[in-house]
Amino acid sequence: MFHEQALPDRVENGRPSGGSGEPAAVDIGLAELASESIIVCDPEGVVRYWNPAAEALYGWPALATIGRRMDELFAGHDLHAEHWRLLLQEGRWRGPVRRRTAAGPPVTVSIRQTVRYDAAGVPHDVVEYGRGCQLAVAHDGMPERAEPYRATAACWELDISEARASIEEIVALAEGDIIAHLKQNPDRLERLLSRSRIVNLNDKAVRLFGGNAGRETIIARPILDYWPDECRPVLGEVLLAVSTRSGWQIAQTRALNAGGFLQGASVAGWRSLDGTRADTIYLMVNGVASDDRSAWELHASEDRYRKLIHHMPTALWQIDARAAGEVFDRLRSEGVTDIAGFLEAHPELVELAKDVVRVTEVNREAVSLLRGRSAADLIRPVRYLFAATPKLANRVMAAHFEGRRNFVEQAKVFTLDGQARDVVFSVTYPAPPEQLDTTFITMLDVTERLHTEAQLQRLEADHAHAARISTLGELATSIAHEVRQPLAAIVTNAETSLRWLSRDDFDIAKIRQLTSRIVSSAHRANDIIQRIRSLAARQPPERVPLDLADVAEEALFFVRHDIEFKKITLSINAARGLPGVLGDRVQLQQVIVNLLVNSVQAIVQAGRPARRIWVSIDAAEGGMVSFSIRDSGPGIADADLDRIFESFFTTKEGGVGIGLAVCQSIVRAHGGSIGASNHAGGGAHFRFALPGLPSSTEGAAGSIAP
Amino acid sequence: MPHPPLIAVIDDDDAMRDALSELLGVLAMGCRTFARAEAFLASYAPGAFDCLVTDLRMPGMSGLGLLQELRRRDASLPVIVVTSSTEPECRTQAVEHGAFAYLTKPVSDEVLIRHLKAALARTQ
Repeated sequence: MFHEQALPDRVENGRPSGGSGEPAAVDIGLAELASESIIVCDPEGVVRYWNPAAEALYGWPALATIGRRMDELFAGHDLHAEHWRLLLQEGRWRGPVRRRTAAGPPVTVSIRQTVRYDAAGVPHDVVEYGRGCQLAVAHDGMPERAEPYRATAACWELDISEARASIEEIVALAEGDIIAHLKQNPDRLERLLSRSRIVNLNDKAVRLFGGNAGRETIIARPILDYWPDECRPVLGEVLLAVSTRSGWQIAQTRALNAGGFLQGASVAGWRSLDGTRADTIYLMVNGVASDDRSAWELHASEDRYRKLIHHMPTALWQIDARAAGEVFDRLRSEGVTDIAGFLEAHPELVELAKDVVRVTEVNREAVSLLRGRSAADLIRPVRYLFAATPKLANRVMAAHFEGRRNFVEQAKVFTLDGQARDVVFSVTYPAPPEQLDTTFITMLDVTERLHTEAQLQRLEADHAHAARISTLGELATSIAHEVRQPLAAIVTNAETSLRWLSRDDFDIAKIRQLTSRIVSSAHRANDIIQRIRSLAARQPPERVPLDLADVAEEALFFVRHDIEFKKITLSINAARGLPGVLGDRVQLQQVIVNLLVNSVQAIVQAGRPARRIWVSIDAAEGGMVSFSIRDSGPGIADADLDRIFESFFTTKEGGVGIGLAVCQSIVRAHGGSIGASNHAGGGAHFRFALPGLPSSTEGAAGSIAP
Repeated sequence: MPHPPLIAVIDDDDAMRDALSELLGVLAMGCRTFARAEAFLASYAPGAFDCLVTDLRMPGMSGLGLLQELRRRDASLPVIVVTSSTEPECRTQAVEHGAFAYLTKPVSDEVLIRHLKAALARTQ
């Protein structure tokens, strides 16, 4: 079956990539299980496939042989040019060959080579089956002790080009005893391993060393991230030995004390066979997986946990707050209960905590948030976390003392380059029987969000303001009338007083009366101007408890004369004992003025004899307070009902269509809703509802009817 | 003048009504004030007043409506409009409806007195 069918075109990582060719993958699966060595080469002699039996026979893992030439691998023992030419010509060859192995000593193998051709009769590839000859092997002695486990070897391909400087430094300083030097200088060893990048690895290596990471995650990472800590010096020694000697055949083998997960383990390393890849090093770890996998599982779960933290999209700090916990225990035993007050009185305790409570771990996101260069910049006492909001430390400590599990607050932090950021600062405290050395701080950067929200609020306020000015313009006549009225009274009263004064028989009581009337009219004029100013002013919206009926009364002032002059009858009904609402007085006045002006205009446009506006303020469902206004105008065309609150939608000649859009944005900003409909009895009906204040704060609304 | 002239004043604004009343008082003219045009019409009889001073913008019947009503009743009562409305069409309409004079608030006493005297000269 295997002989007849084509092998897959692509073979990757010493493992076939099945792709869509599932039947071919099954065949390769059989080849994987074969006890004979199976090697597939292209017509140039470059290895395309290398099965586990070949790995066991020759000692080279597939990883190290795929893509290499056969004559390089076996140093031309049998595959000289003439043999290869004849093979391609005749199509098959069989016989014994003597080839060298990874371990060094040569091995005699009985092989069968078959050329496969494509449809045009051109050689496609060469398939070679091989079986070691026992006699020859016996002569050369038994292989290294790791040999029996070779089929289970974990293989790595590393790129040490970035580690060259580090290697040279260690070689220069080590004075011979490399392993001792590496053990004494873990930082140098760490540097070496952190600069040796993983280029490739086989499934076994992924399973044994990868924790829960997949191959894709591991590739391009430093070997440091995946190599067991306790085995670092051995790896360092192998890397140094292999990288500093020339020639590809040198394989350094060292026994490996790989903790609980491999028994009788060894690591072998060698250089690439290819001269152009001088920085490529292969590693092979042999050993029997320990029956007791618990140590390994623990290792994997811790590893998984570290990875989870590291890749979490939230900035995270792991804190060892045990020092604070000890102080708290002492304070409790001394009878302290009001921790906030105590910390306020003893700021030196907070300052001390900022230095003795330490960050033990941070993730990538934390480094990025605080603009550090590496985790090391942030792994120090927690003082820096509280620099922008010093009192935050008191609150965090108080929550810890009180035994709370969580603490959340919006706060400011400084980045390492001194910029303030707004964050949601959360602390999760450990509780027994959890590890007490693990307090977590997470921060969510909300700077942009707050900035955008503030900007949006400013824009909305500007828009509402512009609309108010426009409304005031529309009401100019009505407003002018309101202002002129008291002024006219002042002028006439003053002139009358002057006339009295110019007479001999002037009546002082009369002049006093006229003068006091002048004063009260002047106050009235001033009040009117204040009202107009407040509606015209550009001020940040505020939230104060209001009585909606009062607001409606104030709004009416601006429209009253217009309504009277246009002979419209207005009736207002305000239910008694309504809850107050929280809002901006001016903006709510604006909404009501707009709705009133709309009704007036609709009535005038309609030109019907019935000229009425009904306003009512009532309690609505869900504790809301509603304002509704109905007019005797023509109503709203059904087609317009859905669009009436859109910006720039207008049915009025010369209208801009921002009035209702602004009403809607103001009502929504107050947590309310607004709607339009046609009343069954004719005319348009607008209604908005705002959340009512809970009864406890009702009194603050002031003039609520008893 | 055989008797002090009696002037009717209509203004919905209390302060303005009182002020006009006081001014007429210092000029030794009689005065009756009304808050609404309807109230004035209820007391109106030909020859009861020598002159009427009225606002235009008022709740209920407006000044213009009142002028129309007086014309309908063929009244010869001279009407001086004192208003805060500055729109030209108001002035035109008022004059069309037979207003004797059209003055805008705030009105100076000199101007008001001049027009009052002219109106009274016409009736007497």
